[in-house]
Amino acid sequence: MNSETSLDAALRGVVVLEIGNELGDYAAMLLAGFGSDVIKLEPSGGSPSRRIGPFANDNREHSLFFWRYNLNKRSVVLNDDNPAARSLLARMAAKTDVVLLSGDFETVERRLSLWRELAQSNPSLIVCTITPFGLSGPYRAYRATDLTQMAMGGIMAVCGYDPGPDLKYDTPPIAPAMWHAYHIAGEYAAIAIVAAINFRDLAGEGQFIDVSIHEAVNTCTEIAIPTYIYNGQTVLRQTARHAFPHITQFRLSKSADDIYMLASLSPFEREAQAFARLADEVGIEHVLNTPEYKQLEKEDPNSAYTYRNELIEQLVSRLPAHEVFQRAQAHGLAWSPIRRPEDNLSDAHFQARQTFATIEHPELGRPLLYPGTVASDGAAPHMRYWRRAPYLGEHSHEILEWSGCDARELDDLRSSGVI
Amino acid sequence: MADVRIIDLTWLQVGPQATRILASFGAQVIRVEWRHPAAIDFLRYMQPFAPDHATPAGGRSQGAARSRGIRGNYDRGAYFNNTNPGKYGITLNLNHPKGRELLRRMVIQANAICENFSPGQMDKWGLGYEELRKLNPRLIYMQTTGVGKFGLYKNYVSYGPTAQAMSGLTYMSGLPEPYPPAGWGYSYLDHSPGYFGAMLLMIALHRQRQTGVGAYIDLSQTETGLMLTGTALLQHQLTGEPTSRYGNRMPFLDWSPHGAYRCRGDDNWIAISVQSDEQWRALVTELGSPAWALEAKFATARGRKANEDELDRQLGSCLILHDRYELMERLQRRGIPAGVVQKAADRFDCDPQLKARGYYVDLPHSEIGTWPVEGFPAKLSRSPADVGGRTRRASPKLGEDNEYVYCELLGLTKAELAALKQEDVI
Repeated sequence: MNSETSLDAALRGVVVLEIGNELGDYAAMLLAGFGSDVIKLEPSGGSPSRRIGPFANDNREHSLFFWRYNLNKRSVVLNDDNPAARSLLARMAAKTDVVLLSGDFETVERRLSLWRELAQSNPSLIVCTITPFGLSGPYRAYRATDLTQMAMGGIMAVCGYDPGPDLKYDTPPIAPAMWHAYHIAGEYAAIAIVAAINFRDLAGEGQFIDVSIHEAVNTCTEIAIPTYIYNGQTVLRQTARHAFPHITQFRLSKSADDIYMLASLSPFEREAQAFARLADEVGIEHVLNTPEYKQLEKEDPNSAYTYRNELIEQLVSRLPAHEVFQRAQAHGLAWSPIRRPEDNLSDAHFQARQTFATIEHPELGRPLLYPGTVASDGAAPHMRYWRRAPYLGEHSHEILEWSGCDARELDDLRSSGVI
Repeated sequence: MADVRIIDLTWLQVGPQATRILASFGAQVIRVEWRHPAAIDFLRYMQPFAPDHATPAGGRSQGAARSRGIRGNYDRGAYFNNTNPGKYGITLNLNHPKGRELLRRMVIQANAICENFSPGQMDKWGLGYEELRKLNPRLIYMQTTGVGKFGLYKNYVSYGPTAQAMSGLTYMSGLPEPYPPAGWGYSYLDHSPGYFGAMLLMIALHRQRQTGVGAYIDLSQTETGLMLTGTALLQHQLTGEPTSRYGNRMPFLDWSPHGAYRCRGDDNWIAISVQSDEQWRALVTELGSPAWALEAKFATARGRKANEDELDRQLGSCLILHDRYELMERLQRRGIPAGVVQKAADRFDCDPQLKARGYYVDLPHSEIGTWPVEGFPAKLSRSPADVGGRTRRASPKLGEDNEYVYCELLGLTKAELAALKQEDVI
């Protein structure tokens, strides 16, 4: 089942200049996973995302956030706000395919004016901005964080805990942890950039891309919007299950070893049958296959499901989670333990698929495993992460050399504080 | 993507999400379905439905109303309509040898084929990647499954919530113990892997154009979930501590208060995220400098963090009588990140930003009329995304484009088409 090659080098030769903050780190890292050469331009104080925790061993120089979202990239210290930087940026623009600007509206607008100019002499340049609300519209200058974007974009309203019997909530809506507004927007930014690369293949031209995190989050709430538009109904948030116009039955159960299981049945008859077989196998007494139960399902489905859910709870509580998982799956039931992310690190399934990338960290004296791919070609992952996030200015010398500046120009840039 | 044709065998959400994006960039996406009740896309017959009164000439202008669907009519699914705009729709019976033959003919002329059947289904039909690439060596074959086509769990079944549970995303969402995980109120892992699917397809198409090489893509929803677990895995490896939940708080920066606070009205909330002492002082001033807020323990980020329970309680009771939108505007004027926890009605009826950006797009459907569909969240200056795609339509009716695809694209005669229909092939 091998294709010729994985896609991990499909964007080789695509040079990306990344300038900004945590709003753009992930998008650029995705491109780097497919072989793009991502050059991070950082001010002398370092990119703002270097200051986001958690930190490895409490060392403020070792931001795990920065490490996580900046794999494969190279770093050059370059104060692009300095007017004297213009000639250097113009040289770099000529060798660049994609410029990615991220941050709040004012900062991105300020930077963008220069890149609008530089794009005129580089018509194949793709310039992508990622801002909280996009570059136009009444909210464009609104302040935002991941939390407020998850709120305004609609995800929070559909995530959280069940209301009381009176349908009043005593718990707040929840923003699922963590950084998902930037994840969603980062994925869309990468899509839009690759779409622009495809367009450039055909038309030879670059373009400007204006990504709105607000809109990105808005695309990601499943039936919430159609349910309102077509039926005028608001979906209600419910504990660990789908938000729905009415409250559905509670479905979390705990295994014998005290682990929450996602164990529920879809409306398909195939699953009802599979569950009855599983219950038999585990020795749970039930009447699921009797004509009386079938009758109850028709006449009073709520009671029928209550009964069935009690059986599920009973079954799950009898066995350790991994055994419920394997037995249920053997019967074709889409059940899973609610794992912590780290429970997957040693899982042989992911080892076989090379899901995790091993990244060397000399400063720790040990490697760390990073989530490294979402897809495989059957033999190798389609994404490849191989280099830890760069130290500040780690590649300044080679990147400035690549830009084509001669020694005198570099001296001038140095004395004017650009580099 | 004017040069791209995609055979789309996907169903439910995760597969169609990817091809929806390709269609909005101009690829010709041909959605292949079968009319047998056991094979029909669940989204065609699950809630929500278009109101019973919606007609081809009408639509949203006729008003919203609840509906249980019209028996036997698979063309009124509202969520299906939102998920499949811009695509062509044909019917094809892959259990019939002639159906499989027709698919092979289509594959020869296609750039890519996508499917999200249970693992192994296409192989059973003799339509797996190894077979199809013999017909079209440039073919891109993308398959999306819960845990991947190979590996220890290759036969495991999964929906979005299963993959979420396994990856750790469900666990990470919610209030700290003793609360259970809150998880996600929908299948996030039917959305994000769809975005990755679009990305992978476009990257493979770029390479196909440049080198003539195809690709086999085994896309895993659970791996996508792991990609989205932030710094949890790194932190665990360094500390050995189990990952925990933080509710809406910010454990990794000195940001406080940081949460959702109740406002006036039924289940109305505002999210506030204070990033600095300066923003905190501005918030206190805006609230009229209440005595509790001036206490020294709240003056610094460290102090606010150390007393966050009390801070949240005080702030919460302070905001309960405020109008959420008015409050958001007042706080924003002072430069404080604040956002209303918007519900669907807020986002669709009120949000002036989405309106100004033209986010919702009205598109016609041949059975239920013109309805707004959710747009693409980026503006491209030269090749804009357009969710109406090539069809200039929302989703296709079941088999709506049989004649166009089979006769105009594949060159069958109308008589042949009629015969195939007779034989239950299309």
